[in-house]
Amino acid sequence: MNPTHVKKIKISFAHICLLIASAFFLIPFIWMVSTSLKPIEQVFTFPPEWIPKPFRWDNYSKAIEYIPFWTYLSNTAIITILSTLGVVLTCPLVAYSFAKLKWRGRNVLFALTLAVMMIPGQVTMIPLFLLFNKLGWVGTPYPLIIPQFFGVPFYIFLLRQFFLGLPDSLREAAKMDGASELRVYWQIMLPLAKPAVMAVGLFQLMASWTDFLGPLLYLTNQESYTLSLALQQFQNKQGSEWSLMMAVSTLLTLPIIILFFFLQKTFIKGITFSGIKG
Amino acid sequence: MKALEKLNLKQQQVLIVKSKKSNINSGATGWLFASPWIIGLVLFYLLPLVVSIYYSFTSYSILRPGEFIGLQNYKELLVDPLFLKSIYNTVYFAVFYVPLSIICGVALAMMLNMKIKGMTIYRTIFFLPTLVPHVAIAVLWMWLLNPGFGLVNGFLDMIGIKGPAWLGSETWSKPSLIFMSLWGIGQSVVIYLAGLGDISSEYYEAAEVDGANWFQKTFHITLPLLTPVIFFNLVMGIIGAFQQFTLPYTLTQGQGKPANSLTFYVMYLYDNGFKYFRMGYASAMAWVLFVVIMVLTLLIFWSSKRWVHYQGK
Amino acid sequence: MFHNFGKLRKLSLVFCIMTAVILSACSNKETSGNADNAKKDGVTTLTFWHENTGVGEEAINDVVDAFNKKHKDIRVKAVYTAANESQNEKLLAAVAGGNPPDISWFDRFKIGSWASEGSLTDLTKYADRDGVTKDNYYPFAWDEATYKDKLYGIPVDTDARLLFYNKDAFKDAGLDPENPPKTISELEKAAEKLTIKDGNRFKRIGFIPWYNQGWLYSWGWGFGGDFYNKDKNIVTLNDPKIVESLKWIADYAKKYNVEDITGFTDSKGSGEMDPFITGQLAMHIGGNWSISGYLKYKPDLNYGVTPIPTPTGTDFTSWSGGMAVVVPKGAKHPDEAWEFVKFFGSEEGQELYNGKYKTLSVIDSVNEKLGYKKDPLFSQFINILPESHNRPVIPEGELLWNELSNAVDNAIHGNGKPGDLLKAANDKVNKSLK
Repeated sequence: MNPTHVKKIKISFAHICLLIASAFFLIPFIWMVSTSLKPIEQVFTFPPEWIPKPFRWDNYSKAIEYIPFWTYLSNTAIITILSTLGVVLTCPLVAYSFAKLKWRGRNVLFALTLAVMMIPGQVTMIPLFLLFNKLGWVGTPYPLIIPQFFGVPFYIFLLRQFFLGLPDSLREAAKMDGASELRVYWQIMLPLAKPAVMAVGLFQLMASWTDFLGPLLYLTNQESYTLSLALQQFQNKQGSEWSLMMAVSTLLTLPIIILFFFLQKTFIKGITFSGIKG
Repeated sequence: MKALEKLNLKQQQVLIVKSKKSNINSGATGWLFASPWIIGLVLFYLLPLVVSIYYSFTSYSILRPGEFIGLQNYKELLVDPLFLKSIYNTVYFAVFYVPLSIICGVALAMMLNMKIKGMTIYRTIFFLPTLVPHVAIAVLWMWLLNPGFGLVNGFLDMIGIKGPAWLGSETWSKPSLIFMSLWGIGQSVVIYLAGLGDISSEYYEAAEVDGANWFQKTFHITLPLLTPVIFFNLVMGIIGAFQQFTLPYTLTQGQGKPANSLTFYVMYLYDNGFKYFRMGYASAMAWVLFVVIMVLTLLIFWSSKRWVHYQGK
Repeated sequence: MFHNFGKLRKLSLVFCIMTAVILSACSNKETSGNADNAKKDGVTTLTFWHENTGVGEEAINDVVDAFNKKHKDIRVKAVYTAANESQNEKLLAAVAGGNPPDISWFDRFKIGSWASEGSLTDLTKYADRDGVTKDNYYPFAWDEATYKDKLYGIPVDTDARLLFYNKDAFKDAGLDPENPPKTISELEKAAEKLTIKDGNRFKRIGFIPWYNQGWLYSWGWGFGGDFYNKDKNIVTLNDPKIVESLKWIADYAKKYNVEDITGFTDSKGSGEMDPFITGQLAMHIGGNWSISGYLKYKPDLNYGVTPIPTPTGTDFTSWSGGMAVVVPKGAKHPDEAWEFVKFFGSEEGQELYNGKYKTLSVIDSVNEKLGYKKDPLFSQFINILPESHNRPVIPEGELLWNELSNAVDNAIHGNGKPGDLLKAANDKVNKSLK
C-alpha cells in the first residue's frame, strides 16, 4: 500500500466515526424540528414517529401569532447583543491582567473569582434580586445587561487560561520597543486570543439568548418579555402546545446555528506564533 | 519530546532578555485592567455571597428575616437522611460524569480538529444538542429510554440483550442521567477546539522531522499542551457536576424519582429554600457545598503544577 | 517611572466614562417596580399576576374585562408571569423586595405556608363586611383558603380525581364497560384481566395504583384514613388505614414487578405522554383536566370515569385542589384589590371563567348552570365534589406532599415497610410543624 492509500483509508475511517457520533448528537435536534412540523395528534404517538404526516408548515405561522413574536425577538436581541458586548469588552482585559500582569492581591482576587462560582446561584438569587430592587432596576432589562460589563467569572477564568498559554516573549519584545501595556494588550495579545474571545462571546450570546431565570425575575412588564419566557407560555395543564413550542424553539436556535456555522472557523482555527515572531 | 525541548530552548533565550521595569509598572496597570471586575465582583458576587453566609446562621425564610440560630442549621444537616442521600447521588454523578466528559470531550475535539471535508458541518452537529430546550431534552430521553418501546432497548433487543428500566430503575437512573448529560458537552468541545487551535504547528512540524507517529504526537504534544484547557474544564466540570440541577429537576418534576435516586444536592437545596421556606437551611447547604468544591479545587490547583503545561512558560 | 502614564490615564478615563454612562442610564426610575400604580384621574390601576396561557388566559381576560366595565375607578391589568416553580420564584422575590403585584393567582395548596409566613393579606374583615361566606362554596374549597380561621384568598376553580377506564379495553378483556370496579378487589381482578404480557414486555397494563394522580391522598382517604388532626395540629400519616392503603400499593407493585412498569410511570405525568391515550394502560386515576387533553390528542378515545374504588365499595371520596386569587402582603391597594378578588369568586365571575376554560367551579349552582351536571363525564366529578377532601392547610404542606410522595416511591421499590416509611415521614413533618 502506498501512502495515499493509507491516507484515504484513514480519512474514510474518520468519516465513519464522525457519522456515527453525529447520528447520536443529531437526535434531539431532529426530534425538535420534526415535532415542530407535526399535527398535534401525532406528537405523542407511540412508538414515536419521526416523519410528520402531514407536514404542518403552518405551525410556524401559528406559533408566531400565539405570542407577540417580533416584539419578544427584538427584546431578546437587544439584551443579547448588549450583554455579549459587555462580556467581550471586559472579560479579556481582566483575564489578561490575571494572566500576564503582576500585581499585589492578584492571586487573592483570582481565588475569589473562582470561589464565587462555587456557591449555587439558588442561594444568591434572592440577595441579588434585593440589590437590584434597591437600585431600582427591577422591571428593567438592566440586571440582565449591566453586570456583564463588569465581568463574568466563568469567562475570565477561561480567557486567563488562554492568555497563560501565550508566550511571554512576544509581550516582552513589544515592551522593549516601548509599547504601553494597553497597546501590547490591544495590538498583540488580544488578536492572539481572538479564538478564545470569540468562543466566550458565543457562550454569552447563547446564555443571554436562552436565559430564563433572569428575565423571569426582572422583567415585570409583559411587553418587555423575551422569547425564552414566551416558550413557557406554550405549556399548560390541559395539554401543552408541543408543536408550536418546538416551532419557536427551532426558530430560536436557527440564528445561533447560522452564526456558529460561519464563525467557527474564526474561533476554532489555530494561529501560528511562528509568523508573528518572525 | 526532543522537538519540544528545542522549541522551549528557543523561547527561553528570548525570555532571558527580560526588563524588570515592566514588572513594576504592571502593578498599577494590573489593578486598572482588573478594576471593572473588582467592582463587579464585590457588587454582584461577593455582596450576595456574604449575605448568604449570614443567612446560613439564621432561620431566614425569604419572606421573613428569621432569627439568628447559630450553628443549628449545620447541626441539623448532619442528621438529615435526605441530605446525606443527596450527597451520595451528587458525588456518584460527579465521579463518573467529570472524567467521562473530559475523555469524550477531548476525543471529540481531536476528531473535529482533523482536516477533512465537511468538518464545519460535523462541528455544528456536535454543538446542536446544547441549543435544544431542557424540557424537550427531558421528554425526548424519556422516550428513548422507555423500557418497553424506547429506541435504546429496541436496539439492545436486536443484539440479544434485555435492557434495564433505565430511568425507572434505582440502579440505572443515575447512569442514564450521566449518559444524557454527555449530550451537552458541545460547549466544552468548543473550548477544547479553541485550545487545540492555539497549539503552534511548529511543534508538529518539528515532531514530524523527528519521525514521530500519531500516538507520540498525541501524547507528547497535543495532550500536554491542551492541559491548560483540560484544567479549566476539570475545575468547571466539578463545579457544574456538584451543582447539577435543571435536567434532573425537569425530568422528575422535582421529585428525584425513583426512590430519591435522582435527588441531587442542589435539588434538595432548592426545595428547602423555595418550597419549605427554609432559606437559612438552604444557605447552610450551599456553604457546605462550597467547602467541598473549594477543597477539590485546591487539590486540583496544587496538583496542576505537575501536569499543566503552559506554552507561555 | 510610568513612561506609559498617558495611556493609562486615557484608559482609566474610558472606564470612568463607561461606568458613569451605564450607571446614569440605569438610575432612571420611571420603569421600576411591579406595583407602580399611579392613581391617575381617580382611577387605580391594579396589577394581577397569573399563570394561565391559551384559553385559560382568555378566560382570565374575560373576567378582568367584565370587572373593568363595572368599575369606573379601578382598572385591573392582567400580566402573565410563568407557571409552577417559576411563578413561585417570581412572586417570592417580588414579595421579599416589598414590591408585589396587587393581586396574584395562587395555588390554594400553598396558602397555609404563605399565610403562616405573614405574606398574604388577611381578607376576613372584607369578607365579613360584604357577606361573602363559606355557604356559597364547596366546603373543602373554602377551607383550603383558610388558615387558622382567617380567610386569605377566594377560591376560583377546583378539580377532583376519579378512576378513568378504557371501555374498548374492557370489552376486549370480556369485562362489562358499563359496570366498572367499585371495590379494591374488583379493581384488582379487572386489572389482572386487562393486563397482557408479551414476553417480558407489557403490551397492556390493567392498572397502576400510583400512576398519574394516584397519590397517597387518593387512596388514604378512600381507605378511611385521615392525614391531619386539626385540633392537635399534627399530621397523622401512620393512621392504620393509610398504612393499609400503602401496603396494598406496595403489594401491587411487588406482584407486577415494579421495574417492569415504571417506564410508564416515570414519564411525564401530565396529559401528553399518557399511555392511556395509546391504550397501553387500561385504567388510571386522573383529574378532570385530563378530559380536555384526551379531546385534543385523541378525540375518539372511548372511556368512562367512576369514583376511585374503596375496600368496601361504598363511601367514595376524592380530593380536590385548585386556584385562588390572593392579595400579597405589601400590595399598595388592598381595598380595591378585594373588589376584584370578590368579583372573581362571585357567581358572575365564576361563570365567565369556568365557562370559558371548561374547569369546575367552586360554586355548585354555577356548575349546574354551565351544564356540567348533564355531561356524562363532568357530572361524575361534580357528584363527588361535596364528598371531596382538601389537603391539610398547614405551614408544611409542601414538605408533607414530598414526604408522602417519597414514602410511596420507596414503598413500591421495596425500600422499607409501609408502616415504617409513613412513621418516619410523620415524625419529620410533625417536627417541622412545631
